[in-house]
Amino acid sequence: MHGSDLGTLALQLGWCLALYATGASLYGVLAARAEFVHSGRRAALALFGCVAVAVAVMLHALVTRDFRLEYVASYTSRTLPMSYTVAALWGGMAGSLLFWLALLNLSATVVHVQNRDRHRALMPYVTATLSTISLFFLSLLVFVVPAFERLDFAPSEGSDLNPLLQNYWMMIHPPALYAGYVTVSVPFAFCVAALASGQLGDDWIRSTRRWTLLSWFFLTLGNVFGGAWAYEVLGWGGYWAWDPVENAAFMPWLVMTAFLHSVMIQEKKDMLKVWNVSLIILAFALTIFGTFLTRSGVISSVHSFTQSGLGPFFLWFLAAVLVGAIALVGWRLPILRSQNQLESFFSREAAFLFNNLILLGICFTVFWGTVFPVISEWVRGVKITVGPPFFNKVNAPLGLCLLFLTGVGPIIAWRRATPKNLRRNFALPLACGVAGGLVLFALGMRQLAALVSFSLCLFVAATVAIEFYRGTRARQALVGEPAATALAHLVSKNHRRYGGYVIHLGVVLVFMGITGSSLFKEEVQATVAPGQSFSIGAYTLRFDRLSEDDDPHVAITRAEVTVLRGDRVVGLLWPEKRFYKRPGQPTTEVAIRKTLREDLYLVLGALDPPSGLVTFQTFLNPLVTWLWFGGAVMALGTAVVMTPTAAERRARAASPAGERSPSVAEEG
Amino acid sequence: MNRNLRFVAGSALIVAAFGYLMYTAIRETSSYYLTIQEFLPRKAEYANAALRIAGRVAPGSIDYDAKTLRLRFHLTAFAEAGAAADTVAVAFTGIKPDMFAEGRDVIVEGRYADGVVQARQVLTSCPSKYEAKAAAAAPPGGGAG
Repeated sequence: MHGSDLGTLALQLGWCLALYATGASLYGVLAARAEFVHSGRRAALALFGCVAVAVAVMLHALVTRDFRLEYVASYTSRTLPMSYTVAALWGGMAGSLLFWLALLNLSATVVHVQNRDRHRALMPYVTATLSTISLFFLSLLVFVVPAFERLDFAPSEGSDLNPLLQNYWMMIHPPALYAGYVTVSVPFAFCVAALASGQLGDDWIRSTRRWTLLSWFFLTLGNVFGGAWAYEVLGWGGYWAWDPVENAAFMPWLVMTAFLHSVMIQEKKDMLKVWNVSLIILAFALTIFGTFLTRSGVISSVHSFTQSGLGPFFLWFLAAVLVGAIALVGWRLPILRSQNQLESFFSREAAFLFNNLILLGICFTVFWGTVFPVISEWVRGVKITVGPPFFNKVNAPLGLCLLFLTGVGPIIAWRRATPKNLRRNFALPLACGVAGGLVLFALGMRQLAALVSFSLCLFVAATVAIEFYRGTRARQALVGEPAATALAHLVSKNHRRYGGYVIHLGVVLVFMGITGSSLFKEEVQATVAPGQSFSIGAYTLRFDRLSEDDDPHVAITRAEVTVLRGDRVVGLLWPEKRFYKRPGQPTTEVAIRKTLREDLYLVLGALDPPSGLVTFQTFLNPLVTWLWFGGAVMALGTAVVMTPTAAERRARAASPAGERSPSVAEEG
Repeated sequence: MNRNLRFVAGSALIVAAFGYLMYTAIRETSSYYLTIQEFLPRKAEYANAALRIAGRVAPGSIDYDAKTLRLRFHLTAFAEAGAAADTVAVAFTGIKPDMFAEGRDVIVEGRYADGVVQARQVLTSCPSKYEAKAAAAAPPGGGAG
């Protein structure tokens, strides 16, 4: 028996187990037969075992370069470095589905262990929902794109991983994004369970709060890593092109961001239940839609796997998910209705509601722009595409409104803000923002969008700084601690609130990075001979020489460029042209000199061997580093929010059943 | 109820502003996405309109000056059969993309005027194994610029 048969067998057995886990859990809960519920849960655990075996078999085949397997032969080669050989697990169609399945079942298993004795009413439905999702991916792997398809001969060499993927971001971007995608399934499953069981309090929200945050954490990182990857690899000087697949990663992030905010309204005011349920259903549907986009070939994209015929399966699954979920919501609508209503525009509830509207507006814009070619072809018979200008035009004003609300939301009073409250909380931050804008104007900045954006950034940063300052001062006065201790205690007592502020600071940094790099970008194209110089911004670049490097895997032509400011040498850059031999594919390696102020981004554009001339494309991208830094700050803030405070840990230890841990936090 | 009405009105205002923004943005930024087969018979109709045209680089048609970065080539249909098939001239100034070569599938973005597609951008599709399989059956996917 060939090793790959074991993998196929594991997937087939997994398919049966997923089917059984779904059926047994549902029968068990509906017929009140506890033994079936237990049996379904055990089947779900065994399913994880099967998936783990299949992944192990695949990894073994990749690492041993078993080219008899079509997958291994298609995505690796003998000269491919080991790290990328492992990453080839998610580099191709079948492997990426397998990887997705593995992460899903890892999450499901953690959920089952966490909730062994909790949420008895919800868990059978949770098991059934998660197993159904597994069943869908297993069906694809068993019937449509067999992961362990064997060739009838053993090629001596594989056709190698796409060179664009041979980059260290390949090791971290797809796993982060998939983890973000997959963990949306957990709150979705609990939401379905809440709807099905009729237990529609905020129990399902509280018990999956950390999963939601974990998902958001990974989606944030996935998007930021994706941008960084595009920036460093694709060589067009930017980090975001509104490509359908980038959009596919961005849309669930937007909806999850809306969800994270609106659940606070439900926890606090018992409002927006239907809205929250709808948001998580939408977020899950968008993860499936995203997987569909990357794999169906319906919309052309840099990242697309291939036109594989998988599209219809995803669409049917998506349709089933939406119809099923909407039917459940419709059925439970009478008990989802809330008695409370908004009282004033000047209230935190309203700020959060508008935040949600804007986030969904951005999401809809992105969705519409992405599917527009398909829709226009249906309606008018001709494909019409909208490019990045469309997305930027609509999303820039929406984004600025959102930035404004980022400052308003956390500090405006609940219910109804009095004029006094508004003055106390907003006078100083607004003054900071306006003053900052005036200073920038005096310094010569004339672009309205930039002035507005930077002013709003200052406004939001000021609101956060004041919150930290006031909290610290209050503790100092109350407990008599020194400032540093007071600050540390302040944060450690309320992770949700102050972690949330840290995330908002990260958002400010991201906005500064986007504003700087999109509105103040410079671009210069120059064709030079060795020894000649050209300049961009305050920099002079001198092309010194070309050098060559050759190994069995890749041939490299490297340009050595000296970077000067005035007469002072500030650095050396080595942009490259590479030729990957196995697929016979050339690539361009960008060289970037990063500083806090700006990135000098140098591309070796074209070589003309007869004349010895080299064309460089050079970009000066201000503040890009702030964007990456902001992403890191957002991730850090999310980590703080996710970590239980000492009080929360004690409360949980005291009630092992954990049906309802008291909410220590005011807001997050 | 009165209060709710206010919020509905407020939200409706936001949605309307948003709709207007979308509408104008689409009008100003959209372009026709055509295969070369769709474009060639009706090129007069598309004169001066924003276009994205998917086609194949005609063999022997590339004229590139590495000093001035002026690239000229002809775009032809995907089918190999009609060797002397109809083509359209493309003019582009900029760095020739890595994957650009005779017989490659490309997407050209620009406007058609005076018998030449003045390209703002030339996108190439990846020739990797899984893409190649698909390209045989259907127009190409996009590629990194």
